[in-house]
Amino acid sequence: MKRIILSTLFTLATIYVSSQNITIKGVVTDKSSNETLPGVNVIVKNTSIGGVTDFNGKYQISNVPKGSVIVFSFIGYGTKEVRANQSTINIALEEGSQKLEEVVVIGYGTQRKKELTGAVSVVSNETIENLKPTRIEQALQGQVAGVNITSSSGAPGAASNIRIRGISTNGNNNPLILVDGNVIEDLSVINPSDIASINVLKDATAGIYGVRGANGVILIVTKTGRKNSDFKYILNSYSGVQQTTRKIPLLNATEYALLANEAYAANGEALPFTNIGLLGQGTDWQDEVFKTAFIANTDITINKGTEKSLYSFGASYLDQDGIVGGSKANFNRTTAKFNFSTEILKNVNLTTSTVYTNTNRRGLSENALGSVLFNALNMPSNLTVRGDNGDFTLAPNTGVGIEVINPIAQAQNTYNKTKVNKISGSYGLNYKFLDYFSAESRIQFNHASVKSKAYNPELFYGSGKVFNTVNTFADLSDVINNSTVSESEQTYRDYTFDAFIKYERVFNDTHQVKGLLGTSILKSEGINEKNLLGFGANGTTLASVSVAGADRFQDNLELSNAPRKFFDSRLLSYFARLQYSYKDKYFLSAVIRRDGSSNFGPKNKFGYFPTASLGWVISDEDFLKDSKSINFLKLRTSYGVIGNDRIASYGFVSLLSGEATYVFNNQLTYGVALGAISNPEIRWEKQKPFDVGLDMKLFDKFDITIDYFNKTTEDLLLSPQVSGILGVSAPGALGPIVNAGTVENKGLEFSIGYKEAISEDFKFNINYNFTTLKNKVLYVGSEAGVLFGGSFGVGQEPPSRMEAGFPIGYFYGYKTTGIFQTQNDVDNHATQNNASPGDLRFVDINKDGIIDIKDKTYIGDPIADVTMGLNFSFDYKNFDFNLYAFASVGNEIVRNYERSLPLTNRPTYYLSRWTGNGTSNTFPRVTTGTTSNTLFSDFYVEDGSFVRLQNIQVGYTLGSRFIKKTGIDKLRVYVSANNLFTLTKYRGYDPTTSNGSPIGGGLDQGFYPNPKTFLFGLNVNF
Amino acid sequence: MKNLNIKYLVILILLLNTSCSDDFVDVNSSVENSEDYFNTQGDYEKALIGAYDLLQSTYLNVMLGEIASDNTLAGGESATDVTGIQEVDKMTHTPTNQQLRDIWGWMFSGVNRANYILEFQNKTDFTGKTEIIAQARFLRAYYYFELVKWFGDVPLVVDKRFLFGDQFRVDRTPKVQVYAQIEQDLIFATENLPYVQLESGRVTKGAAQALLGKAYLYQEKFSDAAIVLEDLTLKGPYQLVTEYNTIFEENGKNNTESVFEVQYSEQEGAGFGCLQCSEGNVAVGFSGIRNYNGPNFSSGFSFNVPTQKIVDAFETGDSRKDVAILDISAWSTQTGATYSTGFEHTGYFNRKYIPRVRSSEAQGDRNLTNPNNYRSIRFADVLLMAAEAFNRGNIDESKAQLYLNRVRRRAFGDLLHDVTTTGSSLTNDIYHERRVELAGEGHRFFDLVRTGKAAQEINGFVAGKNELFPIPSIEIQLAGNRWAQNPGY
Repeated sequence: MKRIILSTLFTLATIYVSSQNITIKGVVTDKSSNETLPGVNVIVKNTSIGGVTDFNGKYQISNVPKGSVIVFSFIGYGTKEVRANQSTINIALEEGSQKLEEVVVIGYGTQRKKELTGAVSVVSNETIENLKPTRIEQALQGQVAGVNITSSSGAPGAASNIRIRGISTNGNNNPLILVDGNVIEDLSVINPSDIASINVLKDATAGIYGVRGANGVILIVTKTGRKNSDFKYILNSYSGVQQTTRKIPLLNATEYALLANEAYAANGEALPFTNIGLLGQGTDWQDEVFKTAFIANTDITINKGTEKSLYSFGASYLDQDGIVGGSKANFNRTTAKFNFSTEILKNVNLTTSTVYTNTNRRGLSENALGSVLFNALNMPSNLTVRGDNGDFTLAPNTGVGIEVINPIAQAQNTYNKTKVNKISGSYGLNYKFLDYFSAESRIQFNHASVKSKAYNPELFYGSGKVFNTVNTFADLSDVINNSTVSESEQTYRDYTFDAFIKYERVFNDTHQVKGLLGTSILKSEGINEKNLLGFGANGTTLASVSVAGADRFQDNLELSNAPRKFFDSRLLSYFARLQYSYKDKYFLSAVIRRDGSSNFGPKNKFGYFPTASLGWVISDEDFLKDSKSINFLKLRTSYGVIGNDRIASYGFVSLLSGEATYVFNNQLTYGVALGAISNPEIRWEKQKPFDVGLDMKLFDKFDITIDYFNKTTEDLLLSPQVSGILGVSAPGALGPIVNAGTVENKGLEFSIGYKEAISEDFKFNINYNFTTLKNKVLYVGSEAGVLFGGSFGVGQEPPSRMEAGFPIGYFYGYKTTGIFQTQNDVDNHATQNNASPGDLRFVDINKDGIIDIKDKTYIGDPIADVTMGLNFSFDYKNFDFNLYAFASVGNEIVRNYERSLPLTNRPTYYLSRWTGNGTSNTFPRVTTGTTSNTLFSDFYVEDGSFVRLQNIQVGYTLGSRFIKKTGIDKLRVYVSANNLFTLTKYRGYDPTTSNGSPIGGGLDQGFYPNPKTFLFGLNVNF
Repeated sequence: MKNLNIKYLVILILLLNTSCSDDFVDVNSSVENSEDYFNTQGDYEKALIGAYDLLQSTYLNVMLGEIASDNTLAGGESATDVTGIQEVDKMTHTPTNQQLRDIWGWMFSGVNRANYILEFQNKTDFTGKTEIIAQARFLRAYYYFELVKWFGDVPLVVDKRFLFGDQFRVDRTPKVQVYAQIEQDLIFATENLPYVQLESGRVTKGAAQALLGKAYLYQEKFSDAAIVLEDLTLKGPYQLVTEYNTIFEENGKNNTESVFEVQYSEQEGAGFGCLQCSEGNVAVGFSGIRNYNGPNFSSGFSFNVPTQKIVDAFETGDSRKDVAILDISAWSTQTGATYSTGFEHTGYFNRKYIPRVRSSEAQGDRNLTNPNNYRSIRFADVLLMAAEAFNRGNIDESKAQLYLNRVRRRAFGDLLHDVTTTGSSLTNDIYHERRVELAGEGHRFFDLVRTGKAAQEINGFVAGKNELFPIPSIEIQLAGNRWAQNPGY
């Protein structure tokens, strides 16, 4: 490989020929204000010859080949091209509008938007400024066709699941995220105000990033200064409040007691409540759990540019409490960023970016049996939060299960904190030589330290509860201290080294050729630094307890076989790209990569992955050139193969990482045992994305993009359930990773933008987009033909499946046709265990006269058929207004937050239950007896479609008179409401939440809802 | 200057490429690779601990076996509390039963861990290796014996692990062949293990003999059973503990009557997410008195509650009754203890295996970490098995009476209750004695099945079907849908 690089280098070098050169100078101004523009790039097209305008907008470049084209470009302004025929060229640049000349970041380089052959979506700085997102994901959701974002939780600091064009892999569906070329895993470490633009690569052209780009690539460019500019300060600040969007209507105490009595009576048991008249409304535990919480953010950015260097410094602080748990769910984030780039020698540029992030997150248990919201929904409404003596009321020890406890006590007794300190850097050298060449090498690193601490004081929630740390109430005050405190620490670090050479030249003004040749290596590792468990700690705050202060402690790393270095994952890649364009009208791009990954066994480490794309600017053809209606029309298509290796390390060998503990001589004795089952045959997962798209601009006002995509994933890497005879359920064992099938995601993306200036004072624009998605499993490689996942209720078979002919992770259970009204109905139906009048009637799918597991079938899937977004904004004089909504249609959600035990509380839909012949054909009877109503059926599957008003905002920018006096460039104040309302039929908290797993997503155990927030803020530039 | 820079860059790229040959992506884990293990005696000993570990998960076999029988009801909190357990109690269990799948997976995990050692048994030599191999073979036999008891024909693998992909190739091995392997393993263990081990909890020659005798008895090989069991009673160091009521207490751990005992500890925490990972006896917490406050015991989940039928099975004057059965209302009256009632409350609890008052070492979740060892094979069981073998094999009625009466004399404290019957009456007396002597210890269901009495004693038991439990349907699918289900399911 290295031989190829070198020989290419020297072959290309010999092509270099010189010709007649002149010197050109001039002034660049802003067309509307006539003010001079410092920092404008002035470059001889397709060469490295050029310079930058100085403080007075002046430039001078020498050695310009006569007759060549000079390109003037400046961020935020339309680019202009002028032929170099005279020695003085003065140019006026126009702000904005010239979208086709916008520069878009693609892999290892940039392209003008016109030249793009891939499906790339751009979220501009403008959009981000309008939305004021607390998280970057909020700026992507609904803004970019083909990108779907769900959050696993609305808790402060919780991660989001970003899916570009559907679910195509089971291991890790997250796209590759690069911030100024530096890979990050978690978007929460970035302050949204630092971002200049976001580009999303959605098709095969992401293949230049190889392996890690298989799920699409999100490229984030942060703000930098402009050359030859003075200090600029940008200050943003907002604060506000957050509230829950919804409370689930629950039975009040009287309704609850009546219903419980009815259920007991139905099973012939004694009634639990005898004096219902006194119960009244009782407690809605949700009112106790949900609180208004604050949020505040401040950030500042300082930019400066000299003739040779750019400086940008930014810092931010975000502080956010949770709507559940308040400060017990607090998240705060401090970031600091320093970007510096300079020309260290002629034609040699140094670019550096360093980011420091500190986050502190506290959290409550969520989306699980016995989590805080789950308990708020299931805790009996006849109980009060505290008893007469001030102690927390205990949940009953019978009738509600062992997980349901007083949620307020639970939140108060939760003490934990995870602190992440992370420093990331990216340092690159770029050298331009021999006119047509440039070479670049770049080193990037991430170093993160994750420290967690949790304190579990002595707890008694009622007899038998799983969260107890003592056995009886009396044990709380005895001499034995049963509290524990745990402290753990991991270090994650990775290094990426990239080096590449680029060649770029235009022949005869018609043939443009660009070549790229490079290599990239990555090493990523995780180290267990500490895992201690202390017994007998004392304190009332997290800070006051520690392992060091405990009575005794154990070192879990010593005791278990957990390795210090728990993963070491590496990649070695070579890549080449050739781009060719003819008359700036026909474009071709082809990429080949060779990737090697340490995650595969010796036979399967390396793979070759080619991708190619084509573009044709039809509007430049003679027959459309003068069209008034079609200003721009481009057809593009792409196809390729991209490898994916995102699985756990060492899956191809069988390691002794299992748990082996037994008791000899009454002492715990530790041994070794097999961990994850190995699969020596695992190989690269191959994604094959096809895309054909049209970009157009009509009547100077409409921007339209249409894409059809069909992405097939072969050799899908999965970790499915496997046969128990392999020993997979042994302590510490795990299933193997397998290449188990083929999944297809196809759909249509459409986006349209309309911009209009009615008058000087009144401008508006509308953007709308939608994406259709059809996910289908084509083939499952296991002998069973089915893979399982997720969980429903307690002790039931997995509800989610992957099976050929169905969407991945579809719900598999009983179909119902109403409710048995009479005993006659029961007798006339296929034999259904435990069925009585008032029970759900299951469909006998296989018509064998018996309702059993063979009658389970498709009853929904968690994948939306259509998602869409709408963005509307207008400016009137000094006011600006922005509205942004998005919607999802056709996804199903499983209601799994009801514990369904005799004495648990229930949602109010039970008021419409069946109570006798003809009373209901939807909601079954209540009984404490055994029924099949609790089995997983379409009764629990709900339509998860929704429309959400995500943001509405009004701003006012202070007049220029005020500004001139104070030296402030811009001062804007605004009020904003996020997530104001959601239209949905879904009965749960939040239809946008999902745990993100491909098989087992869309199961709702009481998701923490995304809060609505009301913000007041200001932006100052000076 | 220009040339200089080119030179640097070319060197840089060259360096990068040479430093990164393809072996950059060959990375070894810092955890040991299972294929490179077994280089020292210590390696064998550590892997053996892994094979022992799964014994603790047999808590479920014991509890569910008891509930399946006519000795106890499922109980719990409500009719829907752990539906898998409720179904087994009513004999309405189906192939989707989660607890049956647990037993299937956990027992095969034990088989695989024992086979891992045996796969590499010839790799490294050292003195004392045979004893390690003998323990591993006993453990494999123990797990396979559980599997044939519950499921009948099961895939058999010898001296190698089931590896990924094997599940699509192996068939269910006929029970006879599985038993043949169990016998071979146990004979090897009897020949290579001592009666007394330095550490309590280790497999002994006596344990191997007792289990071998039991395996013979299950196959009705009465003379083989009689020989090995008699040898054990004569040569083994075991004797009945005088006071029956001390056997199941903390101080009665690993007593002289204990031929094989599964060891538990309360020194490590546990959670519902991985019950098989607990070092405690999970069945004990499940069987405990709901919301109990009072002396001697601590509370639990009120599963596995004895029926009036088993209570009535004890003869008057049998000292074992009050050890096996706790009459909670009488106890409450006597001590002032309080409790609440769960589903199918009978007023009785399985006193041998309900939670005692816990020590200060106890870790949470306490319901899952009870330290009560499971007395898997007691000498009383051995005597009763011997009696049965001599009687049913028509070998020696007087020996059968002798063995039976040793157990009865301890129970009644006199000779007045000695059995003098012969033939099938004696057989029935032995069956009765097994029932009361071993009440609450998980043997009843399988004793009823092997003696053909299950259908007449257990409500809902369907002859020709319920002798075996169903193979979990998901396990059949995961093995490529090739195995036939057990009859009737």
